Amino acid sequence: MKFSYNWMAELVSGLEATPQELMRLITIKTAECDGVEPFGEHLSNVVAARVLEAEDIPGSHNRKALIDAGALGRHTVVCGAPNCRAGITTAWVQPGTSLGGKQIGRRMFDAIESAGMLASAAELGINKDNEGIVELGDLAPGTPLPRLTPDHVIEVDNKSLTHRPDLWGHHGMAREVAAITGAKLLEPANVSLIPTTPSPVAVSIEDLQLCPRYSALLFENVTVQPSPLWLQQRLQAVGLNPINNIVDVTNFVMAELGQPMHAFDADKLASPAIYVRNAHQDETFTALNGETYTLTPASLVIADAKGAIALAGVIGGMDSAIGDGTTRLLLESANFHAASIRRTSSRLKLRTDASMRFEKSQDPVNTVRGIARAIELLQEVSPGIRMVGGLADAAAPSKPAPVIELRMDWLIRKLGRPIEASQVRNILEALRFEVKDANEGVFEVTVPSWRATKDISIKDDLVEEVGRMIGYATIDPVAPLVPTHPPADNPRRRHFRALRALAAAEGYTEVYNYSFVSEETAQRFGLPGEAHIKVANPISADQGLLRISLVPGIWRNVTENSKYLDTFQLFEIGHEIHRHDGPLANEVPHLVAAVYERHGNTGPFYEAKRLASCMLPGCETRPATAQLHEHPSRAAEVLWRGQTVGRLFEFHPNFVTGRAAVLDLNIAAMEAIGPVEKRYQPIRRFPSSEFDLSVISGKRALVGEIESQIVSFAGAMLESIAFLRQYEGAPLPEGSKSVSFQLSVAARDRTLASEEVAGIRDTIINGMRGLGYDMRV
Amino acid sequence: MLDQQLESLAASTRDRILAAATSDQLEAVRVEVLGRKGTLAEISKGMGKLTPDERKRIGQLLNAAKTNLEAALESRQKQFADAALNARLEAEWIDVTLPAPGPRPGSLHPLTQIQQELEDLFTSMGVAVLDGPEVESEYNNFDALNIPPDHPARDMQDTFWLADGNVLRTHTSPVQVRGMAKLGPPLLMIAPGRVFRNEEVDASHEHTFYQLEGMMVGRDVSIATMLYFMKLLLRHIFGREVTVRLRPGFFPFVEPGFELDIQCLICGGPGCPVCKHSGWVELMPCGLVHPNVLRMGGIDPDEWSGFAFGLGLTRLVMMRYGIDDIRHLQSGDLRFLRQF
Ligand SMILES: [Zn+2]
Repeated sequence: MKFSYNWMAELVSGLEATPQELMRLITIKTAECDGVEPFGEHLSNVVAARVLEAEDIPGSHNRKALIDAGALGRHTVVCGAPNCRAGITTAWVQPGTSLGGKQIGRRMFDAIESAGMLASAAELGINKDNEGIVELGDLAPGTPLPRLTPDHVIEVDNKSLTHRPDLWGHHGMAREVAAITGAKLLEPANVSLIPTTPSPVAVSIEDLQLCPRYSALLFENVTVQPSPLWLQQRLQAVGLNPINNIVDVTNFVMAELGQPMHAFDADKLASPAIYVRNAHQDETFTALNGETYTLTPASLVIADAKGAIALAGVIGGMDSAIGDGTTRLLLESANFHAASIRRTSSRLKLRTDASMRFEKSQDPVNTVRGIARAIELLQEVSPGIRMVGGLADAAAPSKPAPVIELRMDWLIRKLGRPIEASQVRNILEALRFEVKDANEGVFEVTVPSWRATKDISIKDDLVEEVGRMIGYATIDPVAPLVPTHPPADNPRRRHFRALRALAAAEGYTEVYNYSFVSEETAQRFGLPGEAHIKVANPISADQGLLRISLVPGIWRNVTENSKYLDTFQLFEIGHEIHRHDGPLANEVPHLVAAVYERHGNTGPFYEAKRLASCMLPGCETRPATAQLHEHPSRAAEVLWRGQTVGRLFEFHPNFVTGRAAVLDLNIAAMEAIGPVEKRYQPIRRFPSSEFDLSVISGKRALVGEIESQIVSFAGAMLESIAFLRQYEGAPLPEGSKSVSFQLSVAARDRTLASEEVAGIRDTIINGMRGLGYDMRV
Repeated sequence: MLDQQLESLAASTRDRILAAATSDQLEAVRVEVLGRKGTLAEISKGMGKLTPDERKRIGQLLNAAKTNLEAALESRQKQFADAALNARLEAEWIDVTLPAPGPRPGSLHPLTQIQQELEDLFTSMGVAVLDGPEVESEYNNFDALNIPPDHPARDMQDTFWLADGNVLRTHTSPVQVRGMAKLGPPLLMIAPGRVFRNEEVDASHEHTFYQLEGMMVGRDVSIATMLYFMKLLLRHIFGREVTVRLRPGFFPFVEPGFELDIQCLICGGPGCPVCKHSGWVELMPCGLVHPNVLRMGGIDPDEWSGFAFGLGLTRLVMMRYGIDDIRHLQSGDLRFLRQF
């Protein structure tokens, strides 16, 4: 929302703060400002000038004009405008002016020295009219253009006005400024201008909830023409385009009082009656923007006897628009239910200056002020205009003003600093609250109508009013009284932290990936689309699903980084987000690590397995059926204490150039198994005996399986077993391999005799032979 | 006669010991002179012919010579051993600058690092660290935080809606309500985590970023105690005293609501491009918890009061390390991540 400094200065008598200072005050007391910019700075160097002579320059489309600028003398100006002719009074930009970033001086055009320039309204920044130079009518040469002065525009962040319907107009902000600076607030609307006679217009409102008030006034003898330049400049300054005097007045009132208005061409209405009602199912409506909308009863319309003439609170209709031929107009100033307007405007994707204001809950009292202000302006911009009858004003019974009980001790406790009751009273009264003493130390505070629609309803709201006005800088920090106790434990976070620290220490770099995945990627990884939660409004199609696996993200990391690096290791901890029957999603934390080697073979796989063993001491791996993205001969399940907790695999060569292995651990599954209970075992006092065993097996026999078979035959004396090596080739037969282990056996209560050790060894050898293995002995 | 023989043997042997170049040569001398069949043994055999007095005298001489020679031998032997050890040690030179084998340490994501640092700070102050889901119900994300349907404040946060009607949480604030229900008053909690906004990504905008929600509920919580807490937090984050200011800010779940600005750390106040020449940098929204929100969390607002704040971790990381493009953080690019 843009605020004109000049406009505010007209509403606050004796405003002394500079635009910059005003911006600072608004920022720390009221709402966030995005900046302040000068507007129309050049206007101090623009005066009226009469064209005395104008002649064509041969061979050029320009004309040479002699102008009279009164006390500023006569000058020759070269001008390209078709309407540059003797007798008109126009705007002369003096040499030495900066205009739209261009320096205006004395320059040669067509071999003629031109002093300054004659300007169009667009060049002056007043409107978009670039057809010719402005024609000012009767104005003394050399005098400044009336009410056209340099201004400053303060831009206030709309988000910070979300809760303040009253600040969507200059007068609301002026009220704040007056309260902040102690200056006097002026009232621009003179309600006594409204005739008290009955109106020829009948207004009927179907649902007073949706339309708490509808005020209208009929005018005749209207002249539609451009607005005076000062009015156009005002609108331009705050970002509204001038259109014609009537529309401009409605916009002016909106920008000043925050009250959206609409003018209908009264002769284009089918009846002298206005109906505020829900749209009929499939009722069509052509709006001022040229679009035709098909409506549902969820939208509120303004209608005449024939049909919709405006989409309530959003936009007017094309058919009843003000045009050059308009002579009678019906001026609407209404109030609508915020949520209803918001729903209509978001459903039709049609946000207008009006809907933006209505959805903040405007004050129904304001409709009449809007009409009063418009009367005064219309009389100025459309001379001869006449009111027909008085105000048509349909309204819900007005709600009693909310009264809030404010206890001083409570207020002081909330602020955290002492404050005098008299100061609280002064602050609230400056903001136009009514303050009454109820009891000792208790005020009864009545909320003004423009703050009562949504903004202020409870005593906490008044803490803000008092706090911001005394200045938050006057509140000194105070240490809170807090009972000290160790905070509630969060074992999951501790677990995450331990896993992260371990992965980083083992050489893995942490990455963060998005929670989104595309349908195409999901398919590529064999993840069925329907298993995912879909994003209803994705930014782009490739972010349409929520990830149910971290692997696609990690795959992208591998692919991207392999462009620059020959080897690397990375990991991520994040949530898989699964659909489930509960109210939300099933979010499962996973750790996924990847190892990449451009020229490797089995290295990445076993490195990833090493990481698994660091995280899950004693974990086992077991061959698994490969998924689409997995190397068909290099995929495994990871088991910990008998439970599946993850997957270990190498990416299929179709997915990655080089070798990349992935460890994917389900942290929730790990947590469910819980930590290993540790118990002290006395250190053995008797020596153990060691011996090696070699098993000849088929080439693809699993070492893990052979080992557990040996263990099963070794019996209770087995202290440890360690894989030593495996060997293929001569003199072993083709298709076989030899796997060697070192075993250590011992008893707790004695040294084993060599016969006992040999006995254990023989039991194993016989057992293994019984399973069909060849044993090297 | 024996005297002379003994003396010249001792002298020549001493010379030979000193002259020995290797430990083997030394051993040869020892065997030849001191061995069981060595020269000294030969001499002692000749003692039988002597008078008892002579025998005693020569015997003493013989013993003395033997002791002396043995000492000389031992000393020479030690020289050889020392030299051999020195030679070995010298030969065992290694290049101490060679890189060590084994894995190089990886690194934690800068967001993880800052989050852990803040968790540690808060935990040391007795603050509980809570979690909430990334997929939230519309109710928890909005309604329970005093943002009813059709409230224009819903536009302040561009929301990812899910086909099942839930949302990707737009802030960590829903954890406030979960925290109140879980802990009850008085309470101190933070909730760091991933949040989502439906925004186009560019150098300074991300649809996925990280926040840290904080909340305190107690009997005497006020704007003044909130300020105290915020200053404590910021002193730790920036490692020095920072000047802060509160100004009005609208967030439906707090009343009053604030934007907390810190005085620009680059220019210290006079204004520079970083602070857009205002001298202040907007850092975090905060405020006193709205009584409606306390009620949603099952806490009586007449008895208890609270404050809440939201710290942008992503923003903090970018400030701390001078990161100029937010997209790096979720690029997975190791050339970026290995710097931390
Ligand atoms: Zn600065």
